[in-house]
Order: sequence, then structure tokens, then C-alpha cells
Amino acid sequence: METETTPAQADVSELDLVRRCQAGETDAFDQLVTRYRTRVFAMIYNMVHNEQDAWDLAQDSFVKAWKSIGRFKGKSSFYTWIYRIVMNVTIDWLRKRQVKAGGAEFDDAIQLKEIDPASKTVPKADPLPHQRMEHHEIRDRIDKAIAQLSPEHRAVILMKEIEEMQYHEIAETLGCSIGTVMSRLFYARKKLQNTLRDVYENV
Amino acid sequence: MKTFEEKWTAWLDEQLSGKELEEFEASLPDLDAARAEKRDAQKLGAFLKEQLAAQTLSNEEFFNHQLREKIAREREEDQPRTRSSWWTIPRLVWCGATALALFLFTTFVFLSQEQPGEQSEYLTQILNSRVDPGANPNATISIFESKTDNKVTVLWTEGLQSLPADYAAK
Repeated sequence: METETTPAQADVSELDLVRRCQAGETDAFDQLVTRYRTRVFAMIYNMVHNEQDAWDLAQDSFVKAWKSIGRFKGKSSFYTWIYRIVMNVTIDWLRKRQVKAGGAEFDDAIQLKEIDPASKTVPKADPLPHQRMEHHEIRDRIDKAIAQLSPEHRAVILMKEIEEMQYHEIAETLGCSIGTVMSRLFYARKKLQNTLRDVYENV
Repeated sequence: MKTFEEKWTAWLDEQLSGKELEEFEASLPDLDAARAEKRDAQKLGAFLKEQLAAQTLSNEEFFNHQLREKIAREREEDQPRTRSSWWTIPRLVWCGATALALFLFTTFVFLSQEQPGEQSEYLTQILNSRVDPGANPNATISIFESKTDNKVTVLWTEGLQSLPADYAAK
């Protein structure tokens, strides 16, 4: 995983920084935040699609990480650990918002019987509105498509496709089995393929 | 035993190999269409990465600054809790017991220094009653008084039938 570090910072090992954080050094934590802030923010933004909410959730995640850094034993990598916190905070927030909104925001109704594993993959026949979409329009389409996924499906597809995390890392981050990760990935991909095919086939 | 979804995902991500790969591809009804589907999914992955990875955090330094302030506030909020925790239950019990012992000691000292009061009216009436042989003919009353300090008086009565109820009222 790439991190946001200067050459001087890169010399300091992550575990050293974690140990200094555990000793109460806020400067060390500041360095860890600098390494991960952009990726954490981008990850959350892709989940919630709102800059202010993403900022607040990223802040909450790091505060939570600071409070519980004493319990980090180094059994997993630090980024898996911080991502677990980020995912818990974000998924919890999305779930609460869903309850407030009265539920039924996410559409996970896709069933295995609806999917032919060897189906012909043909772009939708609908005519494209523009040959070249503006970037924000594409982004808007993607956001809307991702918003139809449940928080868990969003998390899995983003960690796999954007962060390029391995199945076991995603499983560790979300606290579920590798099989569950693969299954969620299957449904999330199918859903996005159906929703976004006309976009990515023509960009 | 892997489910179909797990095998499909592993196949898509090039995680199947050897016999497992052969068996899976043999189980697909239309391998060419499945391969097209696979390419499509990979295209989706590349598209998402290209479009979504560009998101950046503006005001990075302010982000850290705000976080530092939040952490400092958290620490300040934790401080009073630490100070108030001085009053633990054992300490409360100890302080209570000490306060009680101090109170009892002070009370004892205060009372022991108090001057003996006047002889009570009630005792006077009892002492006077022995001079009335009509009321208690066989009564004997002895009085012992401490000579060192006049604080202790022992009244020993014998053969006293009863004390008139109106003695105290006299």
C-alpha cells in the first residue's frame, strides 16, 4: 500500500511510530496521520459521496485510532488496523443514516438465479447521451451506482478495486471470512456491471 | 467447498490455477461468453480505479491541525476524571472511619471535662424518703461518693417497696 510520506518520514518505521504513539507522543501520531490521511479520506469519500461527511468521518476514525492505539499489538499491519476502524466508523454511519431515512436505501436484491455465469456481455442497446461525458457526470454516475450497494458491498469493491487489497486483508479489515468477501465481491461487481456498463464501455 | 460465487470471483481475479482452474472452466456452459464477462469485469475494475483514485484531500495541514486539537481536547476531558478518581471506595471508607473516631474522641474529651451538675431533684427525693418510716419502714439507702473527684455517686437501695409516683413532681 502506498503511503503519503517524505523520504525522511519513510526512514522511520511504522512500528516505531506506533510504539511512540502508545507512549503518548502525539507528534508520532501526527506522522501516521500524514501517511494515511489522503487514502483514508478518499476511501470514505467513495463510500459516502460527500466531502464534509468524509472529512468528519476521517477525523472521527483517527481520533478513535488514537484512543485505542494502546490495544494495537502489531499482529496485523497498521494500515489493516486503521482501515478496520475506518470501515467500522463509516459503515456504522451509513447504517444509522439509512435507519433515519426509513430504510430501503440499498438495493441488494440481486439474486444468483438472475445471473447467468456465461451470459453474453453485450453493452446495453440504449443510445448514449454523449460521446464524451464530462468527468463530473461520469463521477456522478459512479456515485449513484455505488450508493445502491449496501455499505458492506461498497467497502469490499472499493478495497479490492481501488486499494488493491488481497482477500485476506479485506476479510481482516471487515472481520468476516474470505468466502464472504469473495461472495460480496461477486454481487457488487455484477451490480456495478449492470448499472455502469454503458459508461465504462464508452469512455 | 467453495460456492459458485467464490470460484467465479477467484477465476476473475486470476486466483484459480491447475486442476481447480480446469474444473471450473469445464463446468461453465459457455466458456467464451464467460471469458467476455471476465474481461468486462476487469474493465469495470480498471475504470473504477481510474475514476475514483483521483479523490484528494484539500487542506491537508488543516486536517492534521484540527485532529491535534481534538486529541488535545480529549486529553483535557480525561484529566478531571483522573483527579476525581482519588476518591476511591477504600479511601472513602478510611476517611469516614477516621472522621467517626475523631468525633467520638472529641465527644468523650468534651464530656469528661464537663463539671458535675447539681444533685438531681429526683435523688433528693429518694434520700428524703428514708426519713419517712411510714412509707418504707425497712428501707436502707447507702450512698458512696468518690473522694477524688465528686463525679461519681453510687446509690444503693434495699427494702424500698416503691417510689411514690409523684416524687418527681414534688
